[in-house]
Amino acid sequence: MNKQEFYQRLAEILDTEEVKPEDTLKQLDGWDSLAVLSVLALADSKYGASIKADEIRAVVTAADLANLVESKKK
Amino acid sequence: MNFKFRGKRISGMAVVLPERELSFLEEMKNFNFPEARSLKLKEVMGYNKRRVVEPGCCVSDLAVHGLQQLFDRGLLKKEEIDAILLVTQTADHFMPSTSSLIQGRLGLKQDMLCLDLNLACAGFVIGLMQAFMLLEQESVKKVVLINGDVLSRKASPKDRNIYPLIGDAVSITVVERDASNATIHANLHMDGTRAETLIIPAGGMRMPSTPETAKLEDVGDNNLLAKDHVFMDGSAVFNFVQTEVPPMIESLLATAGTTVEHIDYFLCHQPNRFMLQKLADKMKIPYEKMPNNVVENYGNTGSATIPMVIALNFQERVQREKMRVCMAGFGGGLAWASMLMELGAMDFNTTIEYKQKS
Repeated sequence: MNKQEFYQRLAEILDTEEVKPEDTLKQLDGWDSLAVLSVLALADSKYGASIKADEIRAVVTAADLANLVESKKK
Repeated sequence: MNFKFRGKRISGMAVVLPERELSFLEEMKNFNFPEARSLKLKEVMGYNKRRVVEPGCCVSDLAVHGLQQLFDRGLLKKEEIDAILLVTQTADHFMPSTSSLIQGRLGLKQDMLCLDLNLACAGFVIGLMQAFMLLEQESVKKVVLINGDVLSRKASPKDRNIYPLIGDAVSITVVERDASNATIHANLHMDGTRAETLIIPAGGMRMPSTPETAKLEDVGDNNLLAKDHVFMDGSAVFNFVQTEVPPMIESLLATAGTTVEHIDYFLCHQPNRFMLQKLADKMKIPYEKMPNNVVENYGNTGSATIPMVIALNFQERVQREKMRVCMAGFGGGLAWASMLMELGAMDFNTTIEYKQKS
């Protein structure tokens, strides 16, 4: 998985310029329930990864999220 | 499970809408929620307007009004109705069945069947399957399938997850025999282990309503709801739909020996625009073949959404010509079902407004 591309897509979801791996998701402005849903959709459509919302809520940083998606990738 | 039906058609449809219309952006002002986010939700999810009943209005009120209009306009005759199948999760009473109440209020004949079916958003497709099975009996010539809920009455006004999305409506579908109509294919799946994904915990025999079950609890993000209210695990529903619905439809098309290109329209249950677009993306179906505009006009109305997609987008066309459509419903139970059929050349397709008498 191309992590850089994942952060770029995450930035698009959050309506922001850039997301860095060390960014804490909860501190990002656009991180809400719609963003969680959009990440679920992204993981499913682009990476074939089926993730539960609870699993997303448990991660802290953008890097954690990227790792989660990668671990669930088919 | 796969099904096949022959010689059946939908001969008429009506949608009954309560008159009261609410605006999403206006309603969101009641929540402690930034307006920019509301605008984004409106844009992505399609939340805009919805129709809800006035306090005290029941499913039977909408259904009786709709059927009476059809009788008055000569589109349906009382004595022709051999069965009423009512799909609802918001019955007037525990007992008797609401379909019996409808029969009684309209003075329909006794020589008929009244049956309530407790089904959620897959209830239009499953209801049609039941209607087709009844029509295998010689004595049954016309079945009236009624789908509807007044779920807004069970939604917590302080739950942003569900309150601003729910609409109330009833649809009436007349089903009869027609030897010339093409074979209808259908399939369905159920998973009761995920029953708690969409549930009204209290008010039944397991947990009768008490002052305790009416207490609002914080379920996170400042959303408050009681055990008496409808609960939906939104992201679990999203995952369920993305995971289960595409293989179901692919299997249906394969069984029928057809492909996406040969289907005119995919008429799906309407939870929100986002979910339907993701579903279309996943199945590589062009957006224009899968209408998603019910929610922005009326809200999510449960098992009545498929008839509403038809009325909203194809009201003239289904009275004029036939289309080859794939319908799919998915939701509480959990249950998901799909059906491939020729839809059209209907005797009527109409939208009826319901004005509550005060």
